[in-house]
Amino acid sequence: MDFSINDEHKLIKESIREWCERYLTIERVREMDIKGHPFPDFIPKGLAELGVLLGTLPEEDGGSGLDWFTQALVAEEIGYADPTGTTLAACMAVMTGWGYTINKYATPRIKEEAVKPATKGEKFIGVATTEPGGGSDVAAFRSTGKKEGNEWILNGEKTFISGVEEALKWGGGYWVNVRTGPVVEGAHHKNMTAFYVPIDAKGVEPGEPYRDAGRNALSTSGFRMENVRVPADYMFGQEGKGFYYTMEGFDNARLLIAAGTVGATNRILDEAMAYIKERKVFGRPLAKFEGIQFELVELYHELEAMRLVAYKTAWMQDQRYQKKMFKPTEVAKWISMGKWKAPQLAVAAASKAMHWLGAAGYSDEYLFEMAWRGLMSYCVGAEGGANIQKLVIGREILGKDFIPYK
Amino acid sequence: MTRLIVCVKQVPDTSEVEMDKKTGTIIREGVPSILNPFCEFALHEALRLKDKMGGTVCAITMGPPQAEDALKKCLAIGADEAILLTDPAFAGSDTYATAYTLAQAIKRMGEFDLVFCGQQAIDGDTAQVGPELARLLDIPQLTYIESIEQIEAGGALCKQETDSGYQRVRSRIPALIACLPTPDFEPRIPNVRDVMKAKRKTISTWNKEDIGGAAAVFGLVGSPTQVIKVYSPPKREQGILIQVSPGEAAAKIVDILKGRGVIG
Repeated sequence: MDFSINDEHKLIKESIREWCERYLTIERVREMDIKGHPFPDFIPKGLAELGVLLGTLPEEDGGSGLDWFTQALVAEEIGYADPTGTTLAACMAVMTGWGYTINKYATPRIKEEAVKPATKGEKFIGVATTEPGGGSDVAAFRSTGKKEGNEWILNGEKTFISGVEEALKWGGGYWVNVRTGPVVEGAHHKNMTAFYVPIDAKGVEPGEPYRDAGRNALSTSGFRMENVRVPADYMFGQEGKGFYYTMEGFDNARLLIAAGTVGATNRILDEAMAYIKERKVFGRPLAKFEGIQFELVELYHELEAMRLVAYKTAWMQDQRYQKKMFKPTEVAKWISMGKWKAPQLAVAAASKAMHWLGAAGYSDEYLFEMAWRGLMSYCVGAEGGANIQKLVIGREILGKDFIPYK
Repeated sequence: MTRLIVCVKQVPDTSEVEMDKKTGTIIREGVPSILNPFCEFALHEALRLKDKMGGTVCAITMGPPQAEDALKKCLAIGADEAILLTDPAFAGSDTYATAYTLAQAIKRMGEFDLVFCGQQAIDGDTAQVGPELARLLDIPQLTYIESIEQIEAGGALCKQETDSGYQRVRSRIPALIACLPTPDFEPRIPNVRDVMKAKRKTISTWNKEDIGGAAAVFGLVGSPTQVIKVYSPPKREQGILIQVSPGEAAAKIVDILKGRGVIG
């Protein structure tokens, strides 16, 4: 077992780190947190020039042909630079993680109109699954699609969707799941189909953005679809297979989230350690009090454990795609292990750091409170809530007979 | 231009260096290494010239085997090929032995137009290797160069920093150019394509047999200077802050100096 990274990995990591130290400083992250959305487009454009935005796409589709392990290393560096998780969300989880699945099942028309511009950071592409009636319950959707001639007519509503303001500003659209057939009792995930819906399509009505607790530079809003007509070649893959493709899309996004939030935790602990080594109370540095040191050690231990989970998961995804070494569900188990725990750890680290710093940690003088607010989005539900990840893991280790809701 | 040679050095990342409190020397173990920023600028100048005039750029370094990482970075930034000079016999080289080793390698390489190097390395800060190398290669040297403005019939016309500003200097070619980064220098960040292209470029490894020369001039044995001790200067005491009008300040300072016996 070789735990080293190769020279290309090191050089790419170094490039991302250098770029972030120049253009994605913590001061810039703070500005973005204060100013709010839309997300600054120089970031996806800069990452695109580096070849790491939608990096896992084949070169002929505008990507760099990176493997998932390398993309995960990139996500980790981005999480380190922006520990609020905002850049991770916009550029890695959504555009890159989902971008891979979008491209995989895209028709040539979708690739030309949406994916290729997205690989240059010129358009936004994202995913719209959540509805007012269902977020975690992906199969309980009400949006519909009906075929009419060579078009499909879509109706419904999507909520809590990342990037609508960005799509409106830059151009672009979404992977949207709708029901294209009758509900099958006991198998609600069947008869769902995924379509590309441009945000400026006639009949698409964007909603007002939410005021989130954090991750302010990336918008969260929704949109209604009222008799939106899309051509037949805006369908992803095959009719009726939307749910399965969507699960694959979540997997790729979650994999990068685990790596990125490991990077965020690393940054949080590095900054916190620098503080507690210097700050003296009762005659000695905070770091010399066991109460604080032991808490730090516990977090550090978990950080390194999660880093290994994230790296192994990315490696497994590569082996699955390249050599079919693992079943998709086996990889999904590891992906959910990372997606469940890594953001929780990041939020815990930010919270502990705030406790160590006291009032200073609660203020905007340090990065901890904006990290805590931003990273919470990956605990509560973005790309899948924490408990959903546990259901996936439980299903894989106990077997389908023990799925709780069945 | 046919061939441009860039001498580079791998150095400890001094932003992360700590001093050993007992010996006063740099703790090198576990410290990440980087491409010397002055050398990185020199490489950029060479590449800029290559873009204008054609030719190839070869990066060369003398160091332990891990110095290869610095060369990989050079290839990713845009150098066409690289040479690592590594041999236990080179260990402990002072600036003269280093310059001699580089000179032997460059002579083996054959014809060239310009040799670039950084004005100094951020660990040693001697700025001696460039001038010594020029002397050993018997070529003129231009130092403290911010940019090559143009190559003309007379040679290389360069912008040179001086104590009082700038001046233009010209040298016939071949010559050595020791480069000083401009204040606004931002190194090119290699992208994924650059990194993958670099993978296909060649790094040759040469030892003392490959470059020939007098064994007595290599490494510690061949170094006319030896480092006895490296230490940080004593910490300056905190000064006394005097915040009054200039006239009052002058009187106070005179009293302090008289009290310390500095003035009568």
